[in-house]
Order: sequence, then structure tokens, then C-alpha cells
Amino acid sequence: MFRTGSIVLRRHCRTNMLTQIGIIMLFWLIGTAAAKATGISVPGSIIGLFLVVALLVTKQISVHSVRLGAKWFLGEMLLFFVPAVPVVLDHPELFGTLGLKIVAVILLSTAIVMAVTALFVDMVYRYLARRQG
Amino acid sequence: MNIVHLIFWSALTIALYHAGKLVNRRFHAWWSSPLMIAPILLIIVVLAFRVPYKEYISSTHWMLAMLAPATVAFAIPIYEQRELIKKHWLILMGGVLVGSVTAMLSSWFLANMFGLSDQLRISLLPRSLSTPFALIVSGELGGIPGLTAVFVIITGLFGATIGELLLKSLPLQSTIAKGSLFGMGAHAVGTAKAHQIDSEVGAISGLTMVLVGAVNVLAAPLVEVLLR
Repeated sequence: MFRTGSIVLRRHCRTNMLTQIGIIMLFWLIGTAAAKATGISVPGSIIGLFLVVALLVTKQISVHSVRLGAKWFLGEMLLFFVPAVPVVLDHPELFGTLGLKIVAVILLSTAIVMAVTALFVDMVYRYLARRQG
Repeated sequence: MNIVHLIFWSALTIALYHAGKLVNRRFHAWWSSPLMIAPILLIIVVLAFRVPYKEYISSTHWMLAMLAPATVAFAIPIYEQRELIKKHWLILMGGVLVGSVTAMLSSWFLANMFGLSDQLRISLLPRSLSTPFALIVSGELGGIPGLTAVFVIITGLFGATIGELLLKSLPLQSTIAKGSLFGMGAHAVGTAKAHQIDSEVGAISGLTMVLVGAVNVLAAPLVEVLLR
């Protein structure tokens, strides 16, 4: 009877998105508790992430019981950023020239960072590939 | 906090987000990102109702909080691309270090060039990190975490677009260079874009984003010393 119960539970975990969202949130809570208990300044979500990777690699959990939930989180992630934006209303100084300057800094700096990083990685990759081949 | 406010502002935010998604499906342009349309409409509504931000955010804070469990979800693409990552972890780590130093230096010098105040400059520093990391670093260095959150979003939004343009114009051959570009420059928003391009590029971007966050939180105390 226990066995049928566990099979039913497993099948439920593999097909139900809400359950999987719950499983992922559980690992976030565990990560947060671990961060608080040890007092390190790494966000609990990152501890949770590495915990899930470790459990997947060691086959303690099956990727099928979290994949749907992860797909939902990653697909709808932009929603979670939206409520942060109206904070600009509390900073009227950002409208006008100062705001334009800030946007200019962000645009230029982001373009520089992306180009430098990608070119560096590609250069090292090609160097290693040539040396090996 | 009022339950009616909670339901009203949450439902409105979700509805505007889905409206943004519908528009994006039709136009596929940078201005039609749900992260562009939804916040602008939202600001108009919040202004029209004369509601202070504090009241709005107290009803919708739970959505921001969802960013943390969403970060855990990056474990799955990382696990699925583990072979690729295992093969290239050293180059990826090198890219993260080079990218982080470039991010700090370029933000600092550009902010100086445009004559921004110290507090703004510091709030700008951690903006290429994913939100939970950025807020920690901004707070530790003496910036304004609320503003950093907005800078993070602007960075993600523009970064995802710039990234797509750079991908077309730079002579990049490897998947890992493409993934590093998005993960280093535009955190989660860039990673979402990267997943649209290719699942390998997306996984590399997700891992890079996590590594960048971790490296920068660890380096924050060092940067704090340098700023003095």
C-alpha cells in the first residue's frame, strides 16, 4: 500500500506544475534558512540553487519532478521585476538631464561589458581549440 | 495592508504584464518587451490614482519576493547543460572575472565623466548583477538599494537588446562566448533572451549570471576598501 502511495505521489510530482513550483520554493526556503543559520552574506536563493544542482547530479531527485516548475519560473520571471519600476516616482530628480545621464552610463557600460566579456571568452576558446587540435 | 488593495494592485500588475506579453508576441521589438510596456502603464495608473509608491509596493511586494525562488529555478538548465559547463568552466570563470572588473571600471569612469554624485555612482556599480545580489552589494557599499533595483531593470532591458545587436556584429564563434555576453551584461532578463536564442546559450548565460553574482558579493568588501 505504501508502494502504490509513493508511485501515485511520484506521478503527481512529475505532471503537476503547481507541486513543482512548491518544490522549488521549498529549496529556496531551505537555502534561506541555511544562510541565516551560517550568517554568510550569500543569498539563500543561490544556496538553494546549488543544493538543487547537487541533488540532481547525485540523482537524489529526478529532473522530471522540477522541470515544469522551473520552466514556469523562468518563463514568467519578467513579471517579478515589474513592481520595482514605479519606485522612480519617489525620485523626481531622475526625470530630466540626470536621468538621461544615468541611462547613458548604463547603456555605454553595458555595451562595453558585453563586448569585452564575449570577445575575451571567444579568444580564449579559439586559442585552446587551436592548441588542442 | 488592505486585502482589497492587495488583490487590486496585484491583479492590475499581472494583467498589464500579460497585455505587454500579447503586444510583444505581435511586434517583437525592444520597446514592446513586457518589461517596458507594463511598468509604463503601471506608472500612469499609479499616478492617476495618486497612490504613493509605498502603498503600491506594500500590496505587490510578494511579486518581487518571487525573484528569489525564481533564481533557484536556474539550477535546472545548468544541470541539463552540465557536460558543456564542465568542459569550459575555467574559461567561463575567466570571462566572469574579466567582465566584473570591466563592469566596475566602466561604470565608475563613465559616472565620473557625466559628473554623477558619489551615492548615485555607488548605486550604479552593482547593476549588472541579478537583483538579490545587487541589493546586497549596493547596501554594503553605501548606495541606495531601491535605485539600484531600477538600474538593474534598465540594464537588463537595454542589455538584452544591445546583446542581440552585438551578437550580430561581433565575430563570435563559440556558444560559451554568446552565453557569457548575456549572463555578464544583462543578468536574468538577458538570460531569458538567451534562452529564446538557444538552450545552450541560455544555460551558459544562467550559470554566468549566478557566478557573477557570487563573485561580486564576495568581492564587495574589497571594493568597499578601494572606494575609501
